[in-house]
Amino acid sequence: MAEYSWEAQSPLRKAFAPGRLGLASGDAGVAMTEISDFNLVQVMARRGLVANVAKAAKKAWGVLPPERPGAAVGKGATLIWTGPDQFFVLSVGNGPDPVSPLAAIFDGMASLSDQSGGRCLIRLSGARVRDALAKVSSIDLHDAVFPVGAAAATSIDHTGVNLWRRSDAANGSPVYSLLVFTSFADSLWHTLADAAAEYGVEATRTPLS
Amino acid sequence: MRIACPFCGERELGEFTYLGDAAPKRPSAFAADGAEQPDAQDLFFDYVYLRDNIAGDMDERWYHGGGCRSWLTVTRNTTTHEIKAVGAAPGAGAQKPAKAGATS
Amino acid sequence: MSGTRTGRISGDAAPLAFNDNPAADARQPRSVPAGTQSHRLSSGGQIDRKQPLGFTFDGKKMVGFAGDTLASALVANGVKLVGRSFKYHRPRGILTAGAEEPNALVELRSGARREPNTRATTAELYDGLAAQSQNRWPSLRHDVMAVNSLFSPIFVAGFYYKTFMWPAKLWEKLYEPAIRRAAGLGKASGEADPDHYEKAWAHCDVLVVGSGPAGLAAALAAGRAGARVILAEEDNRLGGRLLSENGEIDGKPLAEWLAGAQREIAALANIRVMTRTAVFGVYDGGTYGALERVNDHIAVPPAHQPRQRLWRIVARRAVVAAGAIERPLVFPGNDRPGVMMASAVRSYINRFAAMPGRRVALFTNNDDGWRTAEAVQRAGGTVAAVIDSRGVVPEGCRGLNLRLLGGVVSEVNGGVDGVRSIVVRDAGGRTQQIEADCLAMSGGWNPNVALSSFHRGRPVWRDDIAAFAPGQCPPGMVMVGAAGGDFSLAACLREGHAAGVDAAKDSGAKGKAGAAAQGEDEGFAIKPLWHVEGGKAFVDFQHDVTASDVKLAQREGFESVEHLKRYTTLGMATDQGKLSNVNGLALMAEATGRNIADTGTTIYRPPYAPVAIGALAGHHRDENFHAWRLTPSHHWAAARGAMFVDTGLWKRAQWYPIAGEKDWLESVTREVLAVRNGVGFCDVSTLGKVDVRGPDAGTFLDRLYINTFSSLAVGKARYGLMLREDGLVYDDGTTSRLAEDHYFLTTTTAKAGPAMQHLEYCRQVLWPELDVQLTSVTDQWAQFSIAGPNTRDLLKNLCDPAEDLSNEGFPFMGVREVSLRGGMRARLYRISFSGEMAFEIGVPARYGEAMAENLMRAGAEFGVTPYGTEALGVMRIEKGHVAGPELSGTTTADDLGLGKMMSKKKDYIGRAMAGREALVAPDRQVVVGIKPVNKANRLRSGAHVIPRGAAPGPDTDQGYLTSVCYSPMLGHWIALALVERGRERHGEIVRAYDPLRGEDMEVEITSPVFYDPEGGRQRG
Repeated sequence: MAEYSWEAQSPLRKAFAPGRLGLASGDAGVAMTEISDFNLVQVMARRGLVANVAKAAKKAWGVLPPERPGAAVGKGATLIWTGPDQFFVLSVGNGPDPVSPLAAIFDGMASLSDQSGGRCLIRLSGARVRDALAKVSSIDLHDAVFPVGAAAATSIDHTGVNLWRRSDAANGSPVYSLLVFTSFADSLWHTLADAAAEYGVEATRTPLS
Repeated sequence: MRIACPFCGERELGEFTYLGDAAPKRPSAFAADGAEQPDAQDLFFDYVYLRDNIAGDMDERWYHGGGCRSWLTVTRNTTTHEIKAVGAAPGAGAQKPAKAGATS
Repeated sequence: MSGTRTGRISGDAAPLAFNDNPAADARQPRSVPAGTQSHRLSSGGQIDRKQPLGFTFDGKKMVGFAGDTLASALVANGVKLVGRSFKYHRPRGILTAGAEEPNALVELRSGARREPNTRATTAELYDGLAAQSQNRWPSLRHDVMAVNSLFSPIFVAGFYYKTFMWPAKLWEKLYEPAIRRAAGLGKASGEADPDHYEKAWAHCDVLVVGSGPAGLAAALAAGRAGARVILAEEDNRLGGRLLSENGEIDGKPLAEWLAGAQREIAALANIRVMTRTAVFGVYDGGTYGALERVNDHIAVPPAHQPRQRLWRIVARRAVVAAGAIERPLVFPGNDRPGVMMASAVRSYINRFAAMPGRRVALFTNNDDGWRTAEAVQRAGGTVAAVIDSRGVVPEGCRGLNLRLLGGVVSEVNGGVDGVRSIVVRDAGGRTQQIEADCLAMSGGWNPNVALSSFHRGRPVWRDDIAAFAPGQCPPGMVMVGAAGGDFSLAACLREGHAAGVDAAKDSGAKGKAGAAAQGEDEGFAIKPLWHVEGGKAFVDFQHDVTASDVKLAQREGFESVEHLKRYTTLGMATDQGKLSNVNGLALMAEATGRNIADTGTTIYRPPYAPVAIGALAGHHRDENFHAWRLTPSHHWAAARGAMFVDTGLWKRAQWYPIAGEKDWLESVTREVLAVRNGVGFCDVSTLGKVDVRGPDAGTFLDRLYINTFSSLAVGKARYGLMLREDGLVYDDGTTSRLAEDHYFLTTTTAKAGPAMQHLEYCRQVLWPELDVQLTSVTDQWAQFSIAGPNTRDLLKNLCDPAEDLSNEGFPFMGVREVSLRGGMRARLYRISFSGEMAFEIGVPARYGEAMAENLMRAGAEFGVTPYGTEALGVMRIEKGHVAGPELSGTTTADDLGLGKMMSKKKDYIGRAMAGREALVAPDRQVVVGIKPVNKANRLRSGAHVIPRGAAPGPDTDQGYLTSVCYSPMLGHWIALALVERGRERHGEIVRAYDPLRGEDMEVEITSPVFYDPEGGRQRG
């Protein structure tokens, strides 16, 4: 009997090789990082149980799910607003069944769907990251409008994405996370890389931590 | 055009899809007592096809499909494109409890 | 010379000292640098004499300086003739110094980068620039088409409409090509543009359009107050008219004040300056379109940089300080090379240190024109005469040593090398000739009202300035300074400041805006002069529309301004009437006896300035024309040499050719036979997939589908059909119940997006009382169809031995989670689209490639064959399964043979309307099978079904072939078709008539199920 193995593949595996893209001289203005090894579960409160869901989330991760577009960093998970009374739970891992542990937490208060395979997670930072994003996103990313912790369910290149801002990088540049549908990931990566090419891009891969 | 989604804030037109007049209410093919509506076809004909062509403020259904996937009711002046109000559809989100007995 | 009037003219004008000293004529401008720049001043201007730039015009080598435009460099090089006019091929020179230029249109660059119709007045000079004049042959000086000018009496407005009426069929082949050769502007390169373009968004509290005194004052006020400001300037530097005028602000020379303002703006982090950026449109909700010419000022953009960038600027408030455009005077010969706008003469002298002429005559009807005389004198040029139609000297000019002639210019003598002399005619009809090599003209100023008018705001006529001023502006916008109709420097600074303060306050900024800068309050007085009779006087220079054309239009009944525009093409050239419109309206008003206010303007529409299609397309061209979606096994399929087909945004494997196969049909036939005789698999992840969860999920689906789902047992799948509310079929797919409160719904690939919207509409709008949640999981699952008699054998290899895959343990339409070898959980669905024993298997998308590999491994001993969408299509047609071509939006459930699925016990979307008379009529076209009578014949989709012996036509048309394929199982072509009363007609011979290909053949109507009609194979 032949050996069966199940190796997970990134939707970006053909889109790029780690290294420098676009403008080759000087510091790269934009860092594009594919984040792997994450669990992502869609949580949608059932009717009339929004408060119960919030309480359960607080108990599990120490933070309330954002009531408005935002990303709350809790213990062991980040809760990202995706729509009214619904959010993503993003956590480290790559197990086959990320839903069951959450089913125990929400115990019939919410509908849960695994999206770990349905999204690709890209992190963007660098001195020119806002200039690059301005070419693809209609969202105003100014500090006063989109501070650390802000999130948006929006569209890039006619594709639905979830965008949120993490803590700034050590060098002070803003850091954005972007969840995109897996099937669009190859296309969106190219679009982002083209938008950032004039500033120089450093492309990397790393597991979620 | 920009629409202020009650959940997401102001967004550009490209994130939204237009449906049309929000006024028509879907009739039922059945009456309250469970019997078939004898004039169901007429009621549905009105619902599907007949629309007022309003020059002025109109309540319209828009879908924020490029954002939070909520259906919205947008009050828009059809002659100036001025948007007077934006509200969520009754069933957007989960705040509204399910009606008892809805479950079959 | 009779009629010369000097000195005091009339009325209350002050005495004028005039200069009629012939010695003054010999005076040269301040010395001219060596080289080709015969008309360059030795000092002054905002050019860098240390940076000479070489360029060519029609191949002739010339030199300019950094800071020049192509136009200013041509002026400095003494070039008068720059182009030929559109219709009459008249010689034309540079008329303006700005974006409104109608004459100096050139082709820039060469090869693939050749760009026609570029305004020389806005093209920044760069080293090596190559420009060509347009619309002339063989050369600019000797243009054979200039004979058109001889026939000009017949080339009047409406000429083409009247002349080329008959025979109409000659239009395409003869008239149009000939006309286009004779009349026209530059030619596109015909090659793909090697540069790239992009689009971007910007956001601000206050958008300031224009950086003249009003714009700078607004930006400074709003910026100091703390608002987020974008200052957009179409020029490559800030300053607007400040760059071209003399004067003082806050007691400092303009240049000094401007430098200070720029320093302050640069120090304010909340002001974003966007130069080379023209705001061209205003859209709803405070969105503005702007074009940034990022790299138009150099030959080739640096690597990775765009040539142009199209901005969508979202602004809470906009302060438009777009200035005003000087209006030409309409007099005979006003289009001669060497006739130039008075303000442009000042720009060339003050900003570019280039003298348009050594002996300049000035023709004006207003005070502002006189400033040009002053500028010419200051630069050391000679003012031959000032011809003021008002016959008075403005108060501020009384100290100037000028020769004033009251009257009008009635003739301009000269040729391709420019003006030689002009003829001045006084009120009494007496004329005199004045020697001059340049005639500056000023007919007043038109505020740049375009941006205020794009929302149908109608400009308002103001007699005091003899121009249209902005009317009702779009929400959030104000027009200030000259754009608002207030031309004095003091008013510009005052209004700009006030608007900046107001806009900042509105956006919540609380800082101090400081005091408004103070400037001179020079007066502006004008007495309109709309037309000087006597000869060909041009209104629209670019489209060669003359004053007499406007009058002709009126005589022929085209009095409305919209008709005037279309009949004469006035204002329809690339300059969009920036110079010509008001003069045209005034002439029409005069001809009809109305006033200008009542005559009105045409509707303003964006773009205000030309925008290249490339900029509008931005990134979306070639391989980036649209986003693409890849299936989980895409790269695996690509590595096997699969051919891909675009299905919506998806790229799907269409077939997998192997070495030696001569065409697609051979590959597809092999794939079908491999499945029917063994086993194959196909990536079907593109189907829409929706998690429908919640206590009311079953009820929700019952209302959505024509059949019932609340009664479906957990662990079972069911085929479902949805209607639109009008009773026609919307979409179909298999939906499985995975748990009591969890259904897994699938849609067709095409309807995945729309169906999700439809489902959310039902949930949020129609039935908010139901507790149900919807999530698209299309991208979460890599889904494969495994089909063929060896399917179960393959799955036995793939699954854990403990999994019971027998008919009893896993019956047809069963669904459950299974364990796979190597440690993977999968969802297994026993459903079949091919009519074979088949399963669909789903794993998280990131394991899609591993699944493809493992399916190959598990099926190796059975010759497992990956197949594409073509084989999938063949097998569904053989099996009579409907798909996209039959779900065409015109078919009912019964048309598709699925009428029995319609539940009588419940309401559902489309139920009531599906019962309409026409939708249940007995003669509807329903799905049937079609076989060619001659088995060698190939069927064509789209062929019409008509009875034997009937003449083809709408009344004999009984339907058409929807889906066609070669059936490997039957050995001939087959089709599905929609045919009138088709179900009663199985066995009947009709014709498949295809006028597109000229084919007409006999075919037999059959059952749509060609293969295994009993369905034993899929249940086996």
